[in-house]
Amino acid sequence: MSKKISSTEVAHIAQLTKLNLSENEYEKLSQMLSETLEYVAVLDELDTTSVNETFQVTGLKNVYREPNFPVKGLTQEEALQNAPITKDSKIGTKAVFGRE
Amino acid sequence: MNLNELTVTEALEGLIEGKFSSEEITKACLERISQKDPEIKAFITVIEEAALEEARKADEKISKLGKKAFVDSPLLGIPYACKDNFCTKGVKTTAGSKVLENFISPYESTVTALLKDAGAILLGKTNMDAFAHGSSTEESDFFVTKNPWDVSRVPGGSSGGSAAAVIADMCLFAIGSETGGSIRGPASWCGVTGLKPSYGRVSRYGLIAMASSTDSPGPITKTAQDSALILEVLAGKDPYDATTSPFPTEKYSLELQSDIQRIKIGRPKQYFELDLQPDVLKATEDFLEFLRENGATIVDIDLMDPKYSIAVYTVLQRAEVSSNLGRLDGIRYGNDRTSFGFEAKKRIMLGAYTLSAGYYEAYYSKAQKVRTLIIEDFNRAFSQVDVIVGPTMPCVALGIGESFSNPMFGEMIDVLSEPSTIAGLCGITIPVGVSSSLPVGAQIIGDRFKESQILRIANFYQQKTRFHLERPKK
Repeated sequence: MSKKISSTEVAHIAQLTKLNLSENEYEKLSQMLSETLEYVAVLDELDTTSVNETFQVTGLKNVYREPNFPVKGLTQEEALQNAPITKDSKIGTKAVFGRE
Repeated sequence: MNLNELTVTEALEGLIEGKFSSEEITKACLERISQKDPEIKAFITVIEEAALEEARKADEKISKLGKKAFVDSPLLGIPYACKDNFCTKGVKTTAGSKVLENFISPYESTVTALLKDAGAILLGKTNMDAFAHGSSTEESDFFVTKNPWDVSRVPGGSSGGSAAAVIADMCLFAIGSETGGSIRGPASWCGVTGLKPSYGRVSRYGLIAMASSTDSPGPITKTAQDSALILEVLAGKDPYDATTSPFPTEKYSLELQSDIQRIKIGRPKQYFELDLQPDVLKATEDFLEFLRENGATIVDIDLMDPKYSIAVYTVLQRAEVSSNLGRLDGIRYGNDRTSFGFEAKKRIMLGAYTLSAGYYEAYYSKAQKVRTLIIEDFNRAFSQVDVIVGPTMPCVALGIGESFSNPMFGEMIDVLSEPSTIAGLCGITIPVGVSSSLPVGAQIIGDRFKESQILRIANFYQQKTRFHLERPKK
């Protein structure tokens, strides 16, 4: 399945992934992403109708820690040390409510 | 010989015999860094004072306990460099990206914690393509690392800073990580030994995630023997990474000493039929001939065309990237998403696209099914042979700027590593030749958790040849 990604679609995906693009990046990405999709269409040559997916190669299932395993945590200071905005030992964000 | 030029094995012997101190080795590395790194640019961060302090502590321990000091600390006093995508507590950890340019990790990755416990001394953090997206270090948001063999060329990537630091003798060994060629590629282009362990053999805890289903930390070293020593420290189940395997580890360094009689080696026709540089092809064939002369059996085998692996890798890697980099919101740490470079944006967006409703089946699910076929293909191969040998890279190190025209440059140049990484196999690259004064690497690919087998073959070769001893002009 080969498909072109238009500049409009690029803008939509950029919005979904919260990425800012510069003017010339729309066209460039439209072309580059389309080229990449064109390449990966090679997979359609292979019949996979009765093949299962492999999401991970370890074969491990339901991995649990030992009970009472001493989990390392961060101190409040450590958890906050990289936050750009902090106030009263909390992380600051832009307001979510009351936005247009 | 300067102390920074030693292998890990040689340095340990000298430290045990009291021939020199850890402080002397560490100083020699730091001097080499300050002399050479302004030109090579392998390091993003160097922690000189902390390294010297750790070295002095190691020396104290050695003078107090003697040889016994090394029982619990098998790498005591050995200075190393670490790729900048491993979290190191209190030390800047950028992943080569502007997004994390000021990120000081509040916790330690399992890999660096194990090395610390083993007594190894962190010298600094090495340059890489931002978030490991690339195969040249040209995608680093900070600067390009130069190949010490020819500074007009790239070292390969994404672990390019680590590979360059090792061949330029700025450290005794380095740590890299591979998702699809990121250890083997740069190790090959810099003429050093690079081991990509099986997926799940070494913990990913604290490794800034690229593609979680293939990321594998591993050592970049001067010899296969050193690789074995480092793997011994790193391998094993980690309660902080549920994907690490409970499969028993080995004393890899003790498994090295045997010949290669009766070993059956697969020569995948499809890998040799690619568009390889003639010197790369010749050096790999010479390597196979060496193995044959020393008792191994070489068998031609068929593997799936690697073009399918490139496609599977591209889809899965982009999908996992889009999900893993979603957490970077600039609220809890790091800069906001306007700091992403073009390469990261491109990968995040393709990943988001292939995971979105309507395209999931066609791309993501399809790629995961083909991954199953690739694994089955390798299983068939390993029912006939013990290991697989092929070239590591299709060509020697490229010039700076040669990669920019191709939107899938990384995938194309890593074509020989991607199939094995998708299947979670282990692989080691070692230098096996020279082409116009540049190193050529060949790789030995082993079945999952058969690290001791590939290390043994690599070590056998290095015992009898000299390519791993070649160094660029000082």
